[in-house]
Amino acid sequence: MAESPAPRKRRLSNSLVLLVPAVLFGLLVTLQWRTQAERSELSVRYNAPLIDAANALQNEQNDLKGQLAELRARLDEIQRNASTQSGAARELQTRLDELKASAGLTPESGDGVVVQLDDARNVSVSSRDIDKSICHATDLTDIINTAWKGGAQAIAVNDERVVNSSSVYCVGSTIMVNGTLMSPPFNIAAIGPQNSLLGAFDDPNQLQDIKQRRDVQGLGFRVSRASAVHVPAYSGALNVRYAEPH
Amino acid sequence: MRTNSGAIWASIIALFLGFAAVTQVRSQDVFSRSLNLETPSSLTTLIANLSETNNELRNEIFDVRRDVSDAQNSISSGQGTLSEAERQVAQLRVFSAQSAVAGPGVAVRIEGAFDERALSDLVNELGNAGSEAIAVNEMRVGPKSYFSGTVDHSIAVDNRPLRGPWTVRAIGSPDVVYVAMTRTGGIIGQFELIYRTTRFSVTKETALDLPAQVVASR
Repeated sequence: MAESPAPRKRRLSNSLVLLVPAVLFGLLVTLQWRTQAERSELSVRYNAPLIDAANALQNEQNDLKGQLAELRARLDEIQRNASTQSGAARELQTRLDELKASAGLTPESGDGVVVQLDDARNVSVSSRDIDKSICHATDLTDIINTAWKGGAQAIAVNDERVVNSSSVYCVGSTIMVNGTLMSPPFNIAAIGPQNSLLGAFDDPNQLQDIKQRRDVQGLGFRVSRASAVHVPAYSGALNVRYAEPH
Repeated sequence: MRTNSGAIWASIIALFLGFAAVTQVRSQDVFSRSLNLETPSSLTTLIANLSETNNELRNEIFDVRRDVSDAQNSISSGQGTLSEAERQVAQLRVFSAQSAVAGPGVAVRIEGAFDERALSDLVNELGNAGSEAIAVNEMRVGPKSYFSGTVDHSIAVDNRPLRGPWTVRAIGSPDVVYVAMTRTGGIIGQFELIYRTTRFSVTKETALDLPAQVVASR
């Protein structure tokens, strides 16, 4: 026999009244349990001032890079104006422009690919597999290597231009590119011939480890064709102190 | 009676949902990187690295500011800016591996089994240690250099196969680069554990001569 709508409605509202406190209770119990578990693990009394110091240095670095970019632009403008004076100066300016472009000191735009690399999210991973589910500095160097191999003309990782002196540095689980602190997700923008770049990334012999971890541990790894990719100019120091040209 | 059992089931499911929601949020916390998760020792290393980068930037700002004022002075005295531009050309040619260079540094010799990914990691590590110019055997590593394996198990740099033993030479501060390579837990120590039959030796060099990069062929 069909129930009348009124009791069904009442029963539903009874359940809903219980639902909210029950969810809250569940949240509280779990939070309490997790917090207690973590407090005993965290014996890191010095972390707060060290994190503040690291963040302050990173902010200072952003400011210094801004100042350097401004000074480089000013020098460029002075030289450009002066280069109209003689043929030799014009020739030298052309040479300088070519070198700046090949060294990565000028921004570039064009078609290419964007590679997204991210730690595994929304998947439960056993502690044994955590290492495989997060991205490492070597993943970035492998991706950059594959992009150059595929004919990339310019590459940036999270807006840090990859130049001859660039290296990917890893301390603990923090990654630095060009001495700049970075955290996932990583966007690797590569300008160059799209088919050749995609071919290099699709090659089953390339990035086997990353592809396997994507399939098994849920590591985020995606390569997409992209138009009008922007790659900024290198904004770091040139650092030539020991090497003498000859 | 049915009302109660429905409510009990709803409560159990809700309790579970609450638990799952928190576990999910917390586990995302664990996987999302943040400086909060680093040990004081890692944080100290990061801080040293940031300080070093900032010092290099300050030195560079000092140099470029001087270049700007030199260029302005040259123009006002009617000389033009040729000498500043020439100095910049020379610096950029070294920076982008277009000129042969000489200087002190280290040499890493590798005898035995090795592969292109390890070579790429070694070059990256030499860069981390502040190397300004790097060559593998006689091939200078440039801004767009890449490493690949070859069918006969040798290593190609910019598509040019190089047979072992390999010598990776890097110009930079010999002490700093040497320590970075040979420290306990450093890259050479790791290689020695992975490539057990391969011999690795690192030496400080007072004078290295590296050729200019040969433009990559594809």
